[in-house]
Amino acid sequence: MPQSALMRWFCRVYLVMLYAYPRDFRAQFGGEMQQLFRDRCRQLTRTPGHWRWLRFALHSAADWISTTLQERIAAVRATTLPECGRKALQVARTVWSVGRRTQPRGFVAEWAMTLIVFLFATTTLVQAYVVPTGSMEGTLLVGDHMLVDRVTYSDPGSWGARLLPYREVARGDIVAFHYPEDVRQTYVKRVIGIPGDRIHLENKQVVRNGLRLREPYTQHIDPLIDAYRDDFPQAPQFNTTPRGRDMLAHHVRDGEAIVPPGMLFVMGDNRENSADSRYWGFVPRAYVVGKPLLVYWSYDAPTADLETWTLGHVADVMEHFFTKTRWRRMLLVPRSRQAEVAP
Amino acid sequence: MRKPPSPQDLVPLTPPVFHILLALAGEERHGYGIMQDVARQTNDALLLGPGTLYGCLKRMLAAGMVEESDVRPDPALDDERRRYYRMTPLGRRVVRAEAQRLADAVAAAKACRLFDRPKAGVTGGD
Repeated sequence: MPQSALMRWFCRVYLVMLYAYPRDFRAQFGGEMQQLFRDRCRQLTRTPGHWRWLRFALHSAADWISTTLQERIAAVRATTLPECGRKALQVARTVWSVGRRTQPRGFVAEWAMTLIVFLFATTTLVQAYVVPTGSMEGTLLVGDHMLVDRVTYSDPGSWGARLLPYREVARGDIVAFHYPEDVRQTYVKRVIGIPGDRIHLENKQVVRNGLRLREPYTQHIDPLIDAYRDDFPQAPQFNTTPRGRDMLAHHVRDGEAIVPPGMLFVMGDNRENSADSRYWGFVPRAYVVGKPLLVYWSYDAPTADLETWTLGHVADVMEHFFTKTRWRRMLLVPRSRQAEVAP
Repeated sequence: MRKPPSPQDLVPLTPPVFHILLALAGEERHGYGIMQDVARQTNDALLLGPGTLYGCLKRMLAAGMVEESDVRPDPALDDERRRYYRMTPLGRRVVRAEAQRLADAVAAAKACRLFDRPKAGVTGGD
């Protein structure tokens, strides 16, 4: 790989890694840290030596791991804590400072630390997921392999909420969740309504609590109007599921679906080709798995191949890895976007 | 929670903090300048990653050892994201106290004849 491409890639990864720092710290120093990182990369392109990129990557990773932990703990200390929490932290700090050495850790310790964090991260913090259908097209494509952040929306209790970057699901967020009609499947959609919201569609336009939304993230592929799909919840159709029919029977008043407590109303961005809350009802808040964090690999393949790895798919990937991988989508961060109120 | 700032409360310093103060003793620098100077002081033994550097700077700003400078000395190489930092009088007192502490420690080590041959390149810089 040419060095400038490697450098760009490093900087992009680092930009994502910065999100591990507490919000305040990031706001204060994020830009400068990025700048410093880029400066170091530039310096590295000018210095000779084997393995320097790898050494640099290891050094940066070690720096990142130790300082993100440190800053998170500092952020917790800055907020007021109940007495028991303060005690526990005192103990943790003592342990931390006993273990702290002024010398850099040895090679083995460095790697053990990295491995532990990596294992912990891949099992509890993030989960890999592949987009199987085009319902979010425009934002997420079929074959986008992404990491789902399991922390942000998982209520960790009042104590953990300070330590982890927890927040409540908001309108406009993209969420991964267990499909209510079959919890073995995971779907990704955008949250349109939170509890209490009144939702209906008029000529493909969402009207939420009486306000027409202008949604910059949607994609419309079908110029025709389908009475149910585009003017929900008018003219109920037969292709709704039991949960969808339950929603229509019990939660529609005056031509609007009203989101009950503890539920979410979600829709795909590809509005005309999306099986979503319009057809199968609300998503229980407890079914939300997490928030798409970033696309780590995007591979152009049919839906069936993405759901289970067949021999044919393995061969296809081996043969076409470089041509069918959508390089432009690598390390893309799908973002929450707020809809504007149309005039 | 906030203590009245006194140099004695703030020493001993961690090596990164000490070297950052040394880097700022002569002139105001931005983050990358500090990093380079620290590497120079320590013969590349101490390379500050962005997290370490700005974590230290955050605490040093809070303790009043350094402050942000509004001067942008080099407009040609500049970019608006760079911020320059300078040492405060308190920072100067702290680094002096720390240097004195280290000098005392070295003197004690010498008294125990731990320096048979005088060695060059003891970290601590200029």
